[in-house]
Order: sequence, then C-alpha cells, then structure tokens
Amino acid sequence: MRNDRALLGLVGLAGFAVVLEVAPRVGLVPARYAPPTSRIVLALRDEVQQAQFWHAVRDTLSTWALGLAIAVVAGIALGVLIGSVPALRIATASTIEFLRPIPSVALIPLVVVLYGTVRSTLVLVIYASFWQVLVQVLHGVADVDPVARDTATAYRLGRLARIRYLVWPTTLPYAVTGIRLAASVALILAITGELIIGTPGLGQEIAVAQASDSVPSMYALVVVTGLIGLAANLLARAAERRALAWHPANRGEVPA
Amino acid sequence: MRRPLAALALTTALLVSAACGSGSPAPGPAAPGQPDKVTVGVIPILDVAPIYLGKQRGFFSNRKIDLTLTLAQGGAAIIPAVQSGQFQFGFSNLVSLLIGSSQGLPLKVVCNGNNSTGVDGKDFAALMVKGDSPIKTPADLAGKKVAANTLKNIVDTSVRASVRKAGGDPKAVNFVEMPFPNQPAALQSGQVDAVFVVEPFQQAVLAQGGRAIASSYVDTAPNLTVAAYFTSTQMTTANPDLVKRFTEAMKESLAYADAHPDEAREIIKSYTTIAADVIAKVVLPKWPADVNRQSVQTLVDLATQDGVLTKPVDLNTMLP
Repeated sequence: MRNDRALLGLVGLAGFAVVLEVAPRVGLVPARYAPPTSRIVLALRDEVQQAQFWHAVRDTLSTWALGLAIAVVAGIALGVLIGSVPALRIATASTIEFLRPIPSVALIPLVVVLYGTVRSTLVLVIYASFWQVLVQVLHGVADVDPVARDTATAYRLGRLARIRYLVWPTTLPYAVTGIRLAASVALILAITGELIIGTPGLGQEIAVAQASDSVPSMYALVVVTGLIGLAANLLARAAERRALAWHPANRGEVPA
Repeated sequence: MRRPLAALALTTALLVSAACGSGSPAPGPAAPGQPDKVTVGVIPILDVAPIYLGKQRGFFSNRKIDLTLTLAQGGAAIIPAVQSGQFQFGFSNLVSLLIGSSQGLPLKVVCNGNNSTGVDGKDFAALMVKGDSPIKTPADLAGKKVAANTLKNIVDTSVRASVRKAGGDPKAVNFVEMPFPNQPAALQSGQVDAVFVVEPFQQAVLAQGGRAIASSYVDTAPNLTVAAYFTSTQMTTANPDLVKRFTEAMKESLAYADAHPDEAREIIKSYTTIAADVIAKVVLPKWPADVNRQSVQTLVDLATQDGVLTKPVDLNTMLP
C-alpha cells in the first residue's frame, strides 16, 4: 500500500517533468524563458559541482533550522505560559491576532534597518514560524478536557505536574501540527529573505542567476528549493508519526 | 484590571526586547598591525568588476584592507546599509546618491564607479525596441510605454535626455517600473514598447532580434559617471586614514580594470552566472579613476528639471 502510494507520487512527478519538457519544445511557452526539463537538469548538474552552490545550500539550511528551532522553543514556552494563565491569555489575545496576520515580507524594510542584511532573514524566519507554533499551542492548551482538569485539581497536582501530565499530552498533537506548518513557512521566508534582502543562501543565488540572465540555472536553483521543501515536509511528517505514535489518530491500520 | 494590564506590559516588553537590534557603528581604526575589516555592498553586475579584480590582485590587502564584498539588491538597499555602518562602503548609481544627499543623508562619494563608454551605439546600456517596431528614434516614444528598472532615478532621467536630444517631448513618455531581467520578455510580448537595459540584457534583447534606438547614458552627458563608490560622513570622520587607503586601492583597481578588459571579463564569471559566450560579447563600461564632475552637474540639472530631484544638492560636500 505504502509502496504503491510512493510509486504513484513518482509517476505524478515524472509526468510533470515531461509536460515541462514538451511545452517549450512544441512552442507552447518560449523556451528562452521557460527552458525544458532536460536543460534545467543540465544546469543543475553544473550547479552541484560548484562549492558556492553547497555554501548557499548550507546557508539556507542553517537559517531555516536555527530560525525554526528558536521559533519552536519560544512558541511552545510562551504558548504554554500564556495558555495556562487566563489573564495573560485574555490580555494578549487581541495583540496576537493583530501581529500574527502581518505578512513577514511587509516587515522587511524594518528588519533590514534594525538587523542588517545578514541577520534579517533569520529574524523574518523566526517571526513567521513563531506564530504558527504559538497559535497551535494556545489552542492545544485550551483543549484540555475539563473533567481531566478537575481530576488533576482533585488530586492536587502541582503546577509542573499538571503541565507534564495534563497540558502537555493534550497540547503535543497541536504543537506538532504547528511545527510542521512552521517548517514550511520557515523555508519560504528563508528563501524570500535571501532573494529580496540579499542574505547569502539559495535565494541570493537565484537573484544573481536572474541578474545574470542565466535562466536555466535560475530554474535549477528553484528546483533545489522545491526539493528541500519536500525533504523538510517528509522529515516533519516522520517526526510527527514518531512523536505521536501513541495518539489515536496514528494507531489505525492505514497510515494517515 | 491591574493583572491583565501588568500582563500586557510584560508581553509588550518581551516582544520589544525580542524585536530590538542595533546596527553596528562605523568602526574606528583597527588595532596596530592588524588589517582593517571592510565590507563593501555591491551589485552582481558588470560595473563592479574592478573591485573584484582589485581584490584578486591584492590592491586592497597591500593597503592593509581585509575586503569582503557583499552582494545586495540594488543601490537602494546599499545606501541605508552604509548609513547604519553595516557596510563601510557601497556602490550606487549617481542619481540615487544625489537623491539621498538632497534628503540630508550624510553621504560622501570616495571614488568613481563606472562611466558610459561615451560611444553612441556602443555602450553597456541602451534604449531598445523590438526589431519590427515602428519606433525609429526616441522622439517616437511620445505616449509609449517604456520599462525602467526604477522610477524617478537614473534610467528615466537618461531616457528623457535621449528623447529631448531627438527633439521629442520627454514628458509624454510613460515609464513602467520593471526589473531588468523581466524587460526582454516584456518587450518581446508587447507589454512595453521600449526598454532601457544594461548588460547582459542588452545582449538578450539583441539575441531576440531587438534593436537599439539610443545610447541614453551617452545622450545624457559626455562620458557620464553612472555610478560611484561612497561611504558615510561618520566613516570619513571616524577613520579618514582607512577612507584614504580604500580610495587609493579603488583607483588602482579601476585603472587596472580599464587597462585589462580581458581580465575584467574573466573576473565577472566569478560573481555572476552570465554565460561565457555572452561575457565575451558584452560591452564593458569605462572605468576612469575620477568622477566626471561636469557630467554629475548635468545629471543634477536634468534630474531637477524632470522633478526627480526636488531639493538642491551640494556637490562640493558630496563629491570628493
């Protein structure tokens, strides 16, 4: 069953590659600006032989991982704290709802002035992915079963024990969903920041390829960002299955 | 009521402390015997080949400058970074610098950047139309759409100079903002009637059958200084010796690049991904060591006339 799914997924990908190969060849789109798959693969081969490419990959991945890690830790810590203190939750609700929908890209001019071009992308990544985690954790904390809560009170569980045995198991599935969403958002922001601000990384390489009018290498780099996104998602899903192996949603016969 | 307020204050304080950073100030002189660490903001285009070449030739390390070149997206991003001290020097076109200076930014040009070739029909930038376009001269651009990478800057000022020179009405041209890389395709598909492109996009337009109708940088002023290297006045006050050494190294780099165009072409491969056959064909800018003051004055006059510059600029404080 799983193998069939993976196979079908690969067939879909191959079909997509064929469409991209044929469309420019038959003149559906100009080959100059939308080069066929084979041309992109050639450019990709050239890229992977260059040290600079791997530097860029490393830069992008480290911005992504560091930003995501900070956002996850901060999001979970603040989420549990704010969620457990009703007064705090009420006081911050409107501020969070105000800050959360601000597109991080709109903050670029501000963060560039504050943090310069090198650190700005990291700040954007943290900002954007933080809300994903925080909001999920807040929902998770709010979802604690009232009966379980009363039971915990009846047994006089302390604050820490309550977080450990009551809040955390309820919150974990929410937090993991938040982390998975944050992983994608963090990658998007890492590439965007590099592309627009010029922070070293794959985004900047894309910008240089664009300024150099080397269209195939630009697409090759775009493909790489796609592959990294795919890998990040697979990784996040695997981690999710592992962390939530006990959860009813993951215990069925057919994998989700 | 008091607790939610306290909570709000706490959260705000947390967010503010999380959000606050600070730019690094302009550095003072380095420790004796140590080279000065200098970061220069540049753009991945042909124009900055001399500084890459100079770095490779050791013109900067000779003068105890440990040079780092950082690519940025256009002069507009470099000017604030130089002001905040993140970059000690930067590369920007002259009109951006003039606008910044007229708005009171403490900018100081330290050295020339690059100039037009001065040869009509053979410059590194051109005003171009499709091969079959009815537009023959810049005067025909009245009521037409012309792509410019940035509005109210050096490109529209120069294109208007071409229109004026051809006897047309510069006010009748409609400029559309569009990045250079998008312009060849936009011209081909008819989204715009003309484009003003620099290399390597001039070659891209030529390759798709387009033709040049004017060399606008040449029309603007003889041997126009298009761009320059600059710093902040904080830097010139805090570390005049470093500014002096950087300027000397830069002048040597410019002279070297101007005298060795083949090496300049070679170094371009190191910081761009322009195809080798295109690099062999591109028209290189000229790299004189000194700013052409007369041409900058002409730019000021044109930009003021076109409303691009709305405040006066003191060239004596801005230029070296």
